[in-house]
Amino acid sequence: MAAASHSAAPAPEQSAAFLSVEGLKKHFGGVRALDGVSFSLEKGEIHALVGENGAGKSTLIKILSGVFPFDAGRILLAGESYQPANPHEAKEIGVQVVHQEFNLLDHLSIAENISIEKMPRTRFGLLDKQEMNRRAREALDAIGLTDIDVKAPVSSLGIAHRQLVEISRALQFKSRILILDEPTATLTERETKRLFDIVASIKADGVTVVFVSHHLEEVFAICDRVTVFRNGKTIATDQIVDTTPEGVVQKMVGRDLAASSRNEEAPRSPGNIALRVESLCTAANPKDRGVSFDLRYGEIVGIAGLVGSGRTEILRGLFGVDPIRSGQIFQDTRDVRFSGPRDAIAAGIGFVTEDRKDEGLILDMPIAANISLANMQAISRSGLLQFSAENRRSRERGSKLKLKYGKLSDPVASLSGGNQQKVVLAKWLARNPKVLLLDEPTRGVDVGAKAEIYTILKELARQGVALLVVSSEMPELITLADRILVLAEHEIQGELQRPEFSEENILKLAYGQTAMAGEQNQ
Amino acid sequence: MKLFKIAAAAATGLAMLAGTAQADDKPVVGLIMKSLANEFFQNMLVGAQAHEEKRGDYELIAVGMQNETDFESQINAVENFITQGVDAIVVAPADSRAMVRPLKKAMEAGIVVVNFDVALDAEAKKQQKIELAFVGPDNRGGAKLAGDALGKKLGEGAKVVIIEGNPGADNANERRLGFEASVAEYKLDLLDSRTAHWETEEANTVFSNMLTAHPDIQGVMAANDSMAIGVVKALESAGRDDIVVVGFDNIPAVGPMIQDGRMHATVDQFGTDMAANSIDLALEVVGGADQLKGWVKTPIKLVTAN
Amino acid sequence: MTTQTMTEPVQKTSRFSVRSVLQNAGIGLALLALILFFSVFTEHFLTPNNITNILTQITINLVLAVGMTFVILIGGIDLSVGSVMAFAAVVAGKAITLPGFGPAEAIALAIVAATLTGVACGMFNGVVSAYWSLPSFIITLGMLNIARGAALHVSDAQTIYSFPYAFEEFGSAMVYGIPVVFLVALFLVFVAWFVLNFTVFGRLLYGIGNNEEAVRLAGHSVFWYKVAAFTICGLTAGIAAIVYMARLNISSPIAGIGFELNAIAAVIIGGTSLAGGRGSVIGTLLGAFIIGVLANGLILIGLSDFMRQMITGIVIIIAVVLDYYRAKYAAK
Repeated sequence: MAAASHSAAPAPEQSAAFLSVEGLKKHFGGVRALDGVSFSLEKGEIHALVGENGAGKSTLIKILSGVFPFDAGRILLAGESYQPANPHEAKEIGVQVVHQEFNLLDHLSIAENISIEKMPRTRFGLLDKQEMNRRAREALDAIGLTDIDVKAPVSSLGIAHRQLVEISRALQFKSRILILDEPTATLTERETKRLFDIVASIKADGVTVVFVSHHLEEVFAICDRVTVFRNGKTIATDQIVDTTPEGVVQKMVGRDLAASSRNEEAPRSPGNIALRVESLCTAANPKDRGVSFDLRYGEIVGIAGLVGSGRTEILRGLFGVDPIRSGQIFQDTRDVRFSGPRDAIAAGIGFVTEDRKDEGLILDMPIAANISLANMQAISRSGLLQFSAENRRSRERGSKLKLKYGKLSDPVASLSGGNQQKVVLAKWLARNPKVLLLDEPTRGVDVGAKAEIYTILKELARQGVALLVVSSEMPELITLADRILVLAEHEIQGELQRPEFSEENILKLAYGQTAMAGEQNQ
Repeated sequence: MKLFKIAAAAATGLAMLAGTAQADDKPVVGLIMKSLANEFFQNMLVGAQAHEEKRGDYELIAVGMQNETDFESQINAVENFITQGVDAIVVAPADSRAMVRPLKKAMEAGIVVVNFDVALDAEAKKQQKIELAFVGPDNRGGAKLAGDALGKKLGEGAKVVIIEGNPGADNANERRLGFEASVAEYKLDLLDSRTAHWETEEANTVFSNMLTAHPDIQGVMAANDSMAIGVVKALESAGRDDIVVVGFDNIPAVGPMIQDGRMHATVDQFGTDMAANSIDLALEVVGGADQLKGWVKTPIKLVTAN
Repeated sequence: MTTQTMTEPVQKTSRFSVRSVLQNAGIGLALLALILFFSVFTEHFLTPNNITNILTQITINLVLAVGMTFVILIGGIDLSVGSVMAFAAVVAGKAITLPGFGPAEAIALAIVAATLTGVACGMFNGVVSAYWSLPSFIITLGMLNIARGAALHVSDAQTIYSFPYAFEEFGSAMVYGIPVVFLVALFLVFVAWFVLNFTVFGRLLYGIGNNEEAVRLAGHSVFWYKVAAFTICGLTAGIAAIVYMARLNISSPIAGIGFELNAIAAVIIGGTSLAGGRGSVIGTLLGAFIIGVLANGLILIGLSDFMRQMITGIVIIIAVVLDYYRAKYAAK
């Protein structure tokens, strides 16, 4: 029995619930997305919503922001029934959402994007550019982005700055409730810190902030209360000061998470060199020195660095996606040059990409089809698909990775983020790769699935696969890696061995002497 | 028609004299055609080029269009000819109204303009205050020839349908009016009248469906031979040999059909010669003859198996 | 407390799900409604002769639409099929009327000439648009003009005629009242259905339409798959040219103007997404039927040409709007 400790502890200033949600239900066909959600927000608090992907947080946010209607239950805002018919109405009432996916128009300027919902007009009904730029300037200054030109197109910004622009757009309107849906997913630690400062000042203005995140350390750093979701229900709401991250995780998964510690496992003993990279420069790398490192069989090497430091480019270069400008790659001491992913795959290399929606998965296609995508020979005979072989193999792969799914013929889009990522892994494991490149292997993955993925990756290393992992989450690298290479400005700033692992050491190298330049280009 | 031929021959003689007199300075004739994708105009162009070679006393610049409705390129062509300073423009207008104003400009620039194939709109000419003769066949009269042949063969009260050309095109309108005149004269029973956009496959489809709706059709008047071919194929598929078909244009492909009776008649308007004849008339005026007046009708002839 | 596997709601459809069945059923129902309507309100609609007519009349569009389905599934479009059909017909017409061949050889020559012409044009479209990653819309618009010009050039804008009698026989042959040319088209539908659903090639075409990058990163040569889709589209244009010639016994260089739009309409009405990745060739078959039945029925009912054109346009829009709602409700 889950502990339903609906604590009605007094909030900082007022105890009256500002927004209360009672017994909310929402069905999509036969799927119960929300199955009894109850919680309340108090004025001026920062309230975290946590839960595994698919637990119902996103659906709740979409209901609050007027995207979906709900089936049963009720919502009261300041004592009145709240049931927005569309997103516009929700905004009018003062409920703003910063979505997980970007809603910016790439080719328009930052100013245009910020004013897109309400373009200022001159007396003659024409676009008032001056006013538009002024508003944008104000909005950016408010969150400390004083160095950005509002006339520049959004496409000139990096992913982290786009997120900040998105936030500034939401903040320019007077909001009563600001919902941040995984705002830090694409931010580096430093940018996250800046965001938290902004959130704190918003809170000081009396705005209620709803904070959705997979990162419990963030939740514990800035939130006042936390509500845990599981299987479409709210399990508990707790004061942050009364609980611990471990306690929250337990409620999220409904069981004790096998402590995924790095200390218990037997040390791995790396074998021969699988890949040797010498002065590798991809086309995206403006510098000439390039990067050099070794990757051995049976070891996990982590690559850390800020967004834009050239981490992804190394993987793409190794896999033959991006052309290589200079430098050499040796595989098993042989000089190799891959003219495309096909060559790399034939040489036993797999690549779990950063963005599973754009590069890793075919969302509308069945789970089985995605698992066999890189291994079509195994499930076909002279060009004809062998469906029974495909299903058998997919089932085997799925059970090995503890994949949770309905039917193998369901589209991959029906899975939660963690299970989608497992499908990506299954796709590459189907080829029994010798070398596996992974870019942000647990982005947008919930805590439970994250631990399972770590177990899988470690097991692979034990079986002798060479793994190269790029990640923005330092705890992830610290958990997984045998060595960590820290990148900045397309160059390796240093290499850390296990005893030296700490977030501090990584950050020191990542920012290093080039901190300022790094921030500008991010 | 005789008068016309004599006049043409005389003009030819005169022009040849003029030709020898100023060998280096041949008159330049700009020929503006409609869509060369239409084999009727293609044949006309070939006729004009042969004519240039034969006469040898003038220089021909010919311009065609992309498709039937592309009259903008005709307007551009007129303007280019004015800039080039040609002596005469011989034009088959794609639109009977749109072409009047640019042609007026050409006349004001002292260029002899001859309008053939499709007559410019009388109302528009009056508005622009220009007098311009028309050299060409009587599409309505030609269609009536074909329609009358059908009427004679079938007799009063026979049930017929019309397959029209592009709605809005002048020659399509004229031919429809000609067919309708025959319908009135021979008291035929017009069951249906539809466009097949001059095209064989569409005529085949449209007529098949008309035949299903009206199995008692006795005669078909098609506004061109391409569509008549489609009708004939539809009749073959339906296994009907009791329905009389007439067409228009006398393209080579219908020759065998007329011979073996699958088609009753078509109309030849001697398209191959039409541009050449108009050029002769234009050169005559360039050489000093009087301006043309009214409607200079070119020959048309009913073609049947005999 | 039960632990169930939670799934996020999905609004997209997949060809493997129950939804795709619903999808085709939806179009099938629309077709059934049209057929019922015309059966009630016209005298001759449900007669054997008229059914034969409809089958003959949709054949060319169906053949073109089958090829178009491949191109649209990978997120492309081919505007050149009508012109390529005319070009192939003219080349084949030249071949079939070459002196010195018996009827059998002449027909074989024509078939080879038409398919090769179609394949060459389609391959050109595919290679150019895939190699430089250019929008196929504009490349095939170019090909539309190239092929039309070539058709006029090769034929001197003359209609080519007098083909061997056996060819004509084939064009009008029937099996139990079903035109043989339609059976050819139906066979193409079957082959396309098989290829799209049961081969690696078909699977990857759907994949490319959904997420080209994912397919490329999985080590597949996206370039050649795209070229193949366009080549298939060109091939069907060549086959349509043969059907045209056999049915009308002429080759006209101005044939097929606007046919590409009818073929695209059949594919889209059939539920294939213009964005690619979703759809089926069975839907295309039903889409071609809807267009053909409508064209036929509205003439039988005696509607004027202009009204007919308007209603055809309205029905296309209604079909697509209905499909939107059907997909939405099927997802719930």
